[in-house]
Amino acid sequence: MKENLINIKNIRRKVLIVDDEPINRRLLGFIVDRDFDVIYAENGMQALEIIKENEKTLSLILLDLLMPEMNGYELLKLLHTDPELRRIPVIVLTSEKSAEVESLQLGAADFIPKPYDMPEVILARVHRSIELAEDNIIINETEKDGLTGLYTKSFFYQYAKQHDHYSPNQKMDALVLNVNRFHIINELYGRAYGDMVLQKIGEKISNVLDEVGGIACRCESDTFFIYIPHRDDYAESFTENAELFAAELENPRINLRLGIYENADKSTDIEQRFDKAMLACNKLRGSHTLNTGNTFGAYKTSYTYYDTQLHEKELYSERLISEMDKALDEKQFKVFYQPKYNIKGEKPVLVSAEALIRWVHPELGTISPGAFIPLFEGNGLIHKLDRYVWRSAAEQIKIWKDKYGVSVPVSVNVSRIDIYDPNLENELLTIVAENSLQPSEYLLEITESAYTDNSHQIVETVKKLRADGFRVEMDDFGSGYSSLNMLSALPIDALKLDMQFIKNIAENNKDYRMVELMVDIAKFLSVPVIAEGVETEQQYMLLKQAGCDIIQGYYFSKPIPPEEFNLLIENEK
Amino acid sequence: MLTIEKLKEYGADTDDGLKRCLNNADFYIRMVQSIIPDTRIDDLAKAIAANDLDSAFDIAHALKGIYGNIAITPIYKPVCEITELLRNRTNTDYSALLEEISAQKQKLVSLSE
Repeated sequence: MKENLINIKNIRRKVLIVDDEPINRRLLGFIVDRDFDVIYAENGMQALEIIKENEKTLSLILLDLLMPEMNGYELLKLLHTDPELRRIPVIVLTSEKSAEVESLQLGAADFIPKPYDMPEVILARVHRSIELAEDNIIINETEKDGLTGLYTKSFFYQYAKQHDHYSPNQKMDALVLNVNRFHIINELYGRAYGDMVLQKIGEKISNVLDEVGGIACRCESDTFFIYIPHRDDYAESFTENAELFAAELENPRINLRLGIYENADKSTDIEQRFDKAMLACNKLRGSHTLNTGNTFGAYKTSYTYYDTQLHEKELYSERLISEMDKALDEKQFKVFYQPKYNIKGEKPVLVSAEALIRWVHPELGTISPGAFIPLFEGNGLIHKLDRYVWRSAAEQIKIWKDKYGVSVPVSVNVSRIDIYDPNLENELLTIVAENSLQPSEYLLEITESAYTDNSHQIVETVKKLRADGFRVEMDDFGSGYSSLNMLSALPIDALKLDMQFIKNIAENNKDYRMVELMVDIAKFLSVPVIAEGVETEQQYMLLKQAGCDIIQGYYFSKPIPPEEFNLLIENEK
Repeated sequence: MLTIEKLKEYGADTDDGLKRCLNNADFYIRMVQSIIPDTRIDDLAKAIAANDLDSAFDIAHALKGIYGNIAITPIYKPVCEITELLRNRTNTDYSALLEEISAQKQKLVSLSE
């Protein structure tokens, strides 16, 4: 069909006149010849031969009805039933009113009455019919996806918009359907099989649309867009269809995922609505165990809804990620210090501090580490941020040393990914050396769960760091799953209790017992116990009673900027 | 020798005929000239005489198309009448109409001589 796309301007098109009367033929030819190349046939049979010979280039047929051999009706029927030839428009020449109706029903594009109209009218009708037919070919060629018979994306959007114009109050859902790891299916079973899968999906979608209304397109490769009246039963309907589908194909590798943007907001562009459905769908990408939506049977087919709040949160996260480098350059990150007090004696004594980061964003205000640390841990950016904190902390220790002549060791967090960095030891040594510090003035906090991830690697790393003189505190102790066996082998200098135990220590006797237990473990390991997140006097007293050595928390001080911390040092003197 | 004037005088709607021929008088005259040797008016009379009204209708219908297109009104009009009668296979006396058609054709032939 592609070669029939002849809607190129300024091409002189070919028209066939079929009439058994030479006078009529010549007369009409005389008119039409002005704008077209004209060929003639005396009857239907002759016409059919000429049409087949000129199949690709013939633009229109002017057809008399009553002729010998094969009449116009017979030819019209033949043309109309031929998938290739039916694209050629036919204008019927007739003096009979009744014939006009019949020929139009048989597929004629138009008719010209006899005696002929004015030449201008005839030419206008010929031009119009050709134009319509060619436009129609282009629409047919581009409107539908050849593989699935669904719309193509641009037509789909147009029809969806039209739908909204006609039914502005109808609640509609925007759906994006996708095949999990479709490229693998193509690679494993071949492209022909992949195409078959897509065809089947197209059929399924068409069947659903026949039942419930709406339109659909194959957007690209294995992605389908569906715009259908709102429904609440995706859990059942999608499950049912997807299960049937997988069963039909007898292939458990074919898992569909569906992103649903329900009651799509019609005040936004149709494209945006599908962007949102696509976001939902992408959440399911490659997922085998899902946090959202549902999974079905062994096929892991899944669906999920677009969630406005979640999306906004994601946008916020994306913004934080994209602005981290700039924030580092502009020193938007501030390192605060929270003091740690030794409470073993009569009077609490300031022994060290923990460096904690704050992001003071020029537009978003102060952002808590809880909002950005997990993000940066997820994508590796934490590597850069950690080093920023390490450097700042070392510089601060030196400033205090120079200013007050005392050493206030500061602990910094060493993230999980830092443990695997072969340069870690060198970097830390460089940082302390650059600030003329001893490694013993520099404390490293490593979360307990990092130990359980890969205990061998971490034990080796920590051993080296301790051999260099660094002191290592196990952070969030109690939140991970350290075995007693592993703990006894661990090279650590302090246990830092997970805040969760401290939180309810006053209300919950079980938590208090847990703290006592952990203090016992620390004693067994001959290391001090640090409790953080201590906010009240009651918590403080209980921890002291349980045998905690060091306390960190709002009870003493929130994390504060270095200049405020100065006062705490001065108080100690 | 046919001329536009002669045809007009004869009763042809030459304005109409000429328009259809893009006002090309020579072409129009040639078209009219080409119907002169046509014998189908005789065939029509024969078919009616043989009571073959189906064939008669086909012939009349064809003649209607041709004479209408070249705007030979004196023949076109009676041919239209006879076509309508034959369309319903009306059992009637066609002789008057046939004579009229024949006479007008004869007149046209004489114009061309």
